Amino acid sequence: MKTLELNLGVIKPLQAESSSYIRGWYLDPQTGQSVYFDPDTQNFYTMQGGIYLPQGYMNTTPKQVPVTIGDKLKITISYQYSGPAITGALERFCIGVFGTFGFNETLVGEITRNLPASSTLQPYTDSYTFTIPNNVGSDWDDIYCKIYGGSPGVPQTIFGYENALIIAGLTPTVTGFTISDFVKV
Amino acid sequence: MTLDMGLAPMALSATTFNAGDKVRVTVDFKYTVEADATVHLYVAPYYTNILGKHLVDSCVGRSDVTLPATATPLDKTATVDFTLVPKAQSGIEDGTYGLAVWVRTSVSTSDPWSIPRPSAVDNQDSVLLVSGNPSSGGIGDTLTSIMPMLMMVMMMGMIMPMMQGMGGGSEE
Repeated sequence: MKTLELNLGVIKPLQAESSSYIRGWYLDPQTGQSVYFDPDTQNFYTMQGGIYLPQGYMNTTPKQVPVTIGDKLKITISYQYSGPAITGALERFCIGVFGTFGFNETLVGEITRNLPASSTLQPYTDSYTFTIPNNVGSDWDDIYCKIYGGSPGVPQTIFGYENALIIAGLTPTVTGFTISDFVKV
Repeated sequence: MTLDMGLAPMALSATTFNAGDKVRVTVDFKYTVEADATVHLYVAPYYTNILGKHLVDSCVGRSDVTLPATATPLDKTATVDFTLVPKAQSGIEDGTYGLAVWVRTSVSTSDPWSIPRPSAVDNQDSVLLVSGNPSSGGIGDTLTSIMPMLMMVMMMGMIMPMMQGMGGGSEE
């Protein structure tokens, strides 16, 4: 069993999220970077070269896990939550291909989660185990997880790792390769 | 008393072909792969000089080989064809050539000695004796080679009298 862990950080209830931020610039306490919040899209943006770019959710992986067909890969997420009780929030685990046009989900697992009411941040963890299928592509090496939805609902929170997997065994190993004959046809 | 024997692949014997012939090459190998795969089998004659081995690009052949998944090494025999394109069609000249066969997992025009290396390669020197290209030196080739010189002589023949005529006028 191979494992990967992701930390989604702090999850807030949807109402709290929309009332917490107004349009404007904020300082990301984790990176020290200035970020702009747009309440219309509910997204943070960074300014690069005069262009607002949505804040990325894919990150450099802390480790690369080699997997091959038939292997089991357990992805564990952790996050913290405080707020009213939420029923039916979805935790989504994805393996796929991250590129210019976003994340192409090729393997997906979902878990429905109920979060009890709490006035202080409570830690949560969950995990999903994938079995690497026969049709795995050599470029299925990115993963991301998110939590979203439910009632009254949590804002979509995404976190992912780029090039987190090494898909092994798809390239044939050839030995004893020799020319045995050649003839005119 | 024990009999200690070692087995080694037999070297291929040199064979003569005519330019224009189609040649089928057979290769043997073992392989393992986790999932069904298709590999590309390439073949080409090559020549060797002080800079190394060089493919005759006009004569490269290719076939695609399907390899069913197997965890234990499996014997496989495959064939690939190529044509000895005649020199008149920008192909191979008469002479002695080596024979190279190699495997790549993706389509590539790179020779088997370049990086990225192929998954497997076998090459044997001096096994292809190519002949049968139309012999050079015929009347057509001779005319072609002396045509520039003939043109220059004819132009000189026209220009020189004109220059002499101009020179005569200036003396008056």
